[in-house]
Amino acid sequence: MVNWEYSESVESQEIVNIKEKYQNFINGKFQQPNSKKYINTISPSTEEVLSKIVISNEKDVDNAVQSAQLGFEKWSNTSPHERSKHLFKLARLIQERSREFAVLESMDGGKPIKESRDFDLPQVAANFFYFAGWADKIDLSWGAKSLKPHGVVGQIIPWNFPLLMLAWKVAPALATGNTVVLKPAETTSLTALLFAELCEQAGLPDGVVNIITGDGTTGSLIVNHKDINKIAFTGSTQVGKLIQKSLAGRDVGLTLELGGKAANIVYEDAAIDQAVEGVVNGIFFNQGHVCCAGSRLLLQESIHDEFVAKLEKRMQTLRVGNPLDKNTDIGAINSKEQLNKIEGLVNEGVSDGGKIFQTECELPGNGFWFKPTLFTDVQPSYSIAREEIFGPVLTTLTFRTPQEAVEIANNTEYGLSAGVWTEKGSKILWTADRLQAGVVWANTFNKFDPSSPFGGYKESGFGREGGRQGLLSYLKAES
Amino acid sequence: MIEIKKTYKNYVGGKYVRSESGKTFTLNLKNDSFEVPLTSKKDIRDAVTSSKAGFEKWSEISPYTKTQILYRLSEMIEGNKDSYVDLLVLCGSTKNQAKKDVETAIENIVWYAGLADKWEQVSGNLNPVNGEYFNISHQNPIGVVFSLNSNNNSLSSLLNSIIQPLTVGCSVISFSEESSIIALKFAEDINNSDFPAGSLNILSGQFENVFEDVSKHVEINLISICKEIPNEMLTKIQENASSSVKRIVNMPSIDGISSILPFLETKTVWHPKGT
Repeated sequence: MVNWEYSESVESQEIVNIKEKYQNFINGKFQQPNSKKYINTISPSTEEVLSKIVISNEKDVDNAVQSAQLGFEKWSNTSPHERSKHLFKLARLIQERSREFAVLESMDGGKPIKESRDFDLPQVAANFFYFAGWADKIDLSWGAKSLKPHGVVGQIIPWNFPLLMLAWKVAPALATGNTVVLKPAETTSLTALLFAELCEQAGLPDGVVNIITGDGTTGSLIVNHKDINKIAFTGSTQVGKLIQKSLAGRDVGLTLELGGKAANIVYEDAAIDQAVEGVVNGIFFNQGHVCCAGSRLLLQESIHDEFVAKLEKRMQTLRVGNPLDKNTDIGAINSKEQLNKIEGLVNEGVSDGGKIFQTECELPGNGFWFKPTLFTDVQPSYSIAREEIFGPVLTTLTFRTPQEAVEIANNTEYGLSAGVWTEKGSKILWTADRLQAGVVWANTFNKFDPSSPFGGYKESGFGREGGRQGLLSYLKAES
Repeated sequence: MIEIKKTYKNYVGGKYVRSESGKTFTLNLKNDSFEVPLTSKKDIRDAVTSSKAGFEKWSEISPYTKTQILYRLSEMIEGNKDSYVDLLVLCGSTKNQAKKDVETAIENIVWYAGLADKWEQVSGNLNPVNGEYFNISHQNPIGVVFSLNSNNNSLSSLLNSIIQPLTVGCSVISFSEESSIIALKFAEDINNSDFPAGSLNILSGQFENVFEDVSKHVEINLISICKEIPNEMLTKIQENASSSVKRIVNMPSIDGISSILPFLETKTVWHPKGT
C-alpha cells in the first residue's frame, strides 16, 4: 500500500473580524451592559483568548425583556407578509456571509470547518428560509384561527451547534409573531453576536431580536423574569428539570429539548459497510457533542465480531485535529469542563469492566482533545451505557431478537432519537413503530432538515422544533 | 317498601372496586346523598398499574376498531339516557338541562368516534426535506393520562375531560370529586362497551389527598387538569412533575384538533431513497 503523506489545508481566519469585547444586543443596537463582569471566550483548539463577553445581570435581562415587549408591539403591527419578507432577507444575508460565520463557529466552538461550512451554515440559512414562508400562512398550518403568539420568548441555547440552535429558536419564534430574548452558551457566543449585526443590517424592527450573553445565572434570570411569556430551552435534562420546576405555578409556556442516549440498532441483515459509516457518523459527528448522537450501538449477536472489526478499522481513519483544517473529521472538545466529564465517564467505563478501543493518533499540544473511543463487553447497567457522555465515545451492547433490541433501546429515561439498520422494509417499520423516540433514522443517521420536526419523548423533553409541528411550540390556543 | 339504593364503586382494570382503605365520603346532592369511595394513595398506584396494561391493549387496537368502540359507547349512553337524566335531576339539574347535557355528551362522543381513524391524517404529514429521503411525521399516544374532572355534575363535562386522550389511544385515569356520582355511573357504560380492561379507570375522592402521589408517579405520563385548582396546588404539581419531565396540561382546549394535540408525541422517521 502506498503511504500517502498528509498535507494540511487550513482555512484562513482573515475573513473574521473579532472585536476585543462584546456588548449585548438590545433594542436594535449593541448597548453598554449594566454588569461589569466580563469573561474570556477562548478557542478550545488553541486555548487562545478570542474576545471578552459580558455576564449579564438582572438589570441587563430586564432591559432586554422590556425591549422585547416594545418589539412585540411593533412586530404585531407588522403584517404577516412583511414579517415573512424580513425573515427571507435574513436568510439571504446569512448565505452571503456564510463563510465568515463558519470560520468563526469553528474558531469559537472547535468543530471541524467541513461541518460548520457544509452542515451548520447551510442548515441555518435553510431554517430562516423555511420559517420565512410560514410567517404569512399560520392560519393554514393547523386550520385553527385561535392560535396566537406567546409574546416575549426567552431562548436559552447550548454550545454544540451555536448558530444552528439560534436558527432553530429564532426563525420559528419570529415567524409565529413572537419576539425573543436569546442567550447563547457562554463558551460559544460569538456567532450569535455576529448574527445580531445581521439583524441590524436586515432592518429588523428594534427589539424583535435581543441577544444577551451570560452563563447559567443569566439564564436563570431570564427564566424567572416576570414578563417572560414563554421559555424555549435546549440543553441538559438536569437543567431542563430545574427550568420546569422554576416555572411551576406560572402561566409561562415551555418547550424543552434535552439530553439523549440514542440506540443505533444494527440487525444482522443490514448492509454492513453502510451501517459502519452510519454508526461512525452517528457518534463522531461534531465530536459526539450531539444530543441525538447514536451513542449506544446495539448489535445483533451474530454480526458483533465482524462489525466491531470493521468499525475499529474505519475509526482509525478519522483525522483528529485543527478544526480549521479542511481535512479534519474530529475537532476540539468544546471546553475543559466537558473534557473532564468525558474523561470521568470513560474512566468509569474502564473500571466497570468495559473493553476500550481508542484510535492511535497524535493530539495537538494545546486545546482540549479526546480520541475516538469504542467500548465493547459492556453491561447495560454501566454508566457509559446509561448516561449521556456528549463526547466521541460509543458503547456497544448486543441483542438476539428484534423484541430484545426494542426493549434495550427503550430502556432509558431518554427518548430523543434512534437508528435502525436492516435491508428489510417490514422490519424497519415494525421497529420504528415500537421505538420511543422523537426521531428515528432508518438506514441513515443524524439527518436534519427545517421541515422535519425534532424533539423528544420522555425525559428528552417536550415540544418539537422544525416542521409544521414546530410552529406549535411558539403558538398558544386562545379562545 | 324499602328503597334499594345502588352502591357506587370505583372502576379500575375493568372491575368495580371499593377503596382498599375501606373509606368513603358522602356526596350530598341537591335531592339525595350517596357514599362513594375515598380513593387512597394505594388505589392510585393500582390504577396506574391497570392503566399501563390498559394502554398496551388500547393503543394496539386499530383506529377503525377504536372508532366502532367509541361509537358503541354513544349507543350505550343513548340506551340509558333516562337513568342519566334521573341522576342529573337528583344532582339538581332541571329535566330539560339534564336531557340537553346527555345529548351534548352523546354528540361529542360521536364526533370523536369519527376522529379516531382520522386524526393521524390531520396531525401528521410528509416532510419535504432537502435531499433524497422519505421523511414522515406521525404521532403516538403519550401513554397513561391522569385527568381531574370538574365539579360540574354533568356528563358532557366528564366526557370532555377524557374523550380526547382516549380517542388517540391513551389510557385514562379519570378522577372526580364533587361530581363523582356521574362518573361512577358512567363506568357502567364503559364496562358494558368494548374498551379493554384498564383503558379507562374511574375514581372518586378528594384530590388534595392524592395529588402529591399523582404528580410524583413516574408512570403517569401526563396530568390533565380540567378544574380550577388553587395556585399553590398547581405549583406543587408542576414542581413534582419536573422530576420526570412529566407533561401537565391546565384547562386543556376542547376545540377541534387542538384538543388532542397535548396527548400526542410526534415521531419522525427518515429513510433514504435510492436504487
